[in-house]
Amino acid sequence: MIGVLLTSINDIPPSGWEDGILYQIWLNLIRHDRWQLILQGLGVALQIAFFSIIIGLILGFFTALMRTSKFKALRTVAMTYVTVIRGIPMLVQLMILYFAILGPYTNLPKILIAIIAFGINSGAYTSEIFRAGILSVDYGQTEAGRSLGFSTAQTMRLIILPQAVKNALPSLGNEFILLLKETSIAGFIGVQDLTKAGDIIRSRTFSAFTPLITVAIIYLILVMTLTWLLSKLERRLRKGDTR
Amino acid sequence: MIHVENLCKSFDKLLVLNDINQNIEKGERVVVIGPSGSGKSTFLRCLNLLERPTSGRIWVEGEEITSKKCNINKIRCKMGMVFQHFNLFPHKSVLDNLTLAPLHIKHQSAADAKEFAMGLLERVGLTDKAYSYPAQLSGGQKQRVAIARSLAMQPHIMLFDEPTSALDPEMVGEVLDVMRNLAEEGMTMIVVTHEMGFAREVGSRVLFMDNGVIAEQGSPKDIFSNPQNPRTKQFLKITNHGGGNL
Repeated sequence: MIGVLLTSINDIPPSGWEDGILYQIWLNLIRHDRWQLILQGLGVALQIAFFSIIIGLILGFFTALMRTSKFKALRTVAMTYVTVIRGIPMLVQLMILYFAILGPYTNLPKILIAIIAFGINSGAYTSEIFRAGILSVDYGQTEAGRSLGFSTAQTMRLIILPQAVKNALPSLGNEFILLLKETSIAGFIGVQDLTKAGDIIRSRTFSAFTPLITVAIIYLILVMTLTWLLSKLERRLRKGDTR
Repeated sequence: MIHVENLCKSFDKLLVLNDINQNIEKGERVVVIGPSGSGKSTFLRCLNLLERPTSGRIWVEGEEITSKKCNINKIRCKMGMVFQHFNLFPHKSVLDNLTLAPLHIKHQSAADAKEFAMGLLERVGLTDKAYSYPAQLSGGQKQRVAIARSLAMQPHIMLFDEPTSALDPEMVGEVLDVMRNLAEEGMTMIVVTHEMGFAREVGSRVLFMDNGVIAEQGSPKDIFSNPQNPRTKQFLKITNHGGGNL
């Protein structure tokens, strides 16, 4: 019975959906279960965004520590990384990593290559955000920590970083949002992310408006959710402040 | 307890400390006065190596801290420091400010650290603020917490870098009271200050610094009532603390 219903909804629109926006929704999202393409694409986009944010945070964190280090060699390595990555468009980096470096010589899944590319890219920006956060903490904090007998590393970990991360959170949130949307170019190396899914539907139904608007609305909802989560986190971290 | 030999410090080409020699005994309360830019704070900050001396040697409790082999973190545990701008940790409650160093450096148990910290807060009259955050305190309260935070490490020496200079006048007294009590308990103290009344009353020795040298030193009585160096006389006159009008 259900099978019959699904088959019929795949072939002809339900009554009342024969024209207008309802027909477009049926054609682009319901017919041939096209909504599943969108859902899978959403999953891929979220995976890329989530894991590349994690990689970016880790890379950015250590790069920021290197850039504030007293050893010149470490500072130079970090500076070079940031300069190169920030100086090349994300899409070019993604294509270089896939078509020129990893693709030809390894069997890594495309989605993993995308995660690596976005992670490396985000790390460069995140490191500058962390560095700004570290510099935003008054030097008196370092002196107070050191005068109590803390080592440089302990002072950094217990006193500077907790304040630096809190100060960096708004900019970090911004970077997460940018990264989430930037994953929409993953389609260029053949990853079927959310944007690609919308594009595939468009090319099959010859109707652009509905699939692309659907994709746009999903991104918007994702970003709004992320913003809400970040503001909750920020409020929790600000509990000691009265400003 | 602290021995300083030929201490020089320059920032780029500016000579801030010029061949300082000092010996500070246990239980002394040395008050350092002098015009701004005379090198008072730099001298104090050299004593726990917050400033690296350009040349010269410093010993603390017999150990040469200017030696490359010296583990300065160990020495600093024995030397508390109080700053002009408090430098409390804003992300920690008052109690956590006090227990942070004992927990992570001395590896005290949480219960021990808390008990000792609460005792210190009682001494500075701030038990009711244990769970407040620094941003919720007045300047005087912040500085009292900062003193308690240093004391939590049970130091043998306390360094004070203009501890009342950033305070509103009505809050100076409460901080000086805490310092006075500390002096009465026999703490070795080195205090850079503009509070001449405190210097006279609490100091066991006064150093007058000018232009990177200790221009004159002696008992508070000698310095304030009978200064020898013309620069000391001039400074005390300008700050209204000279001779007879005390």
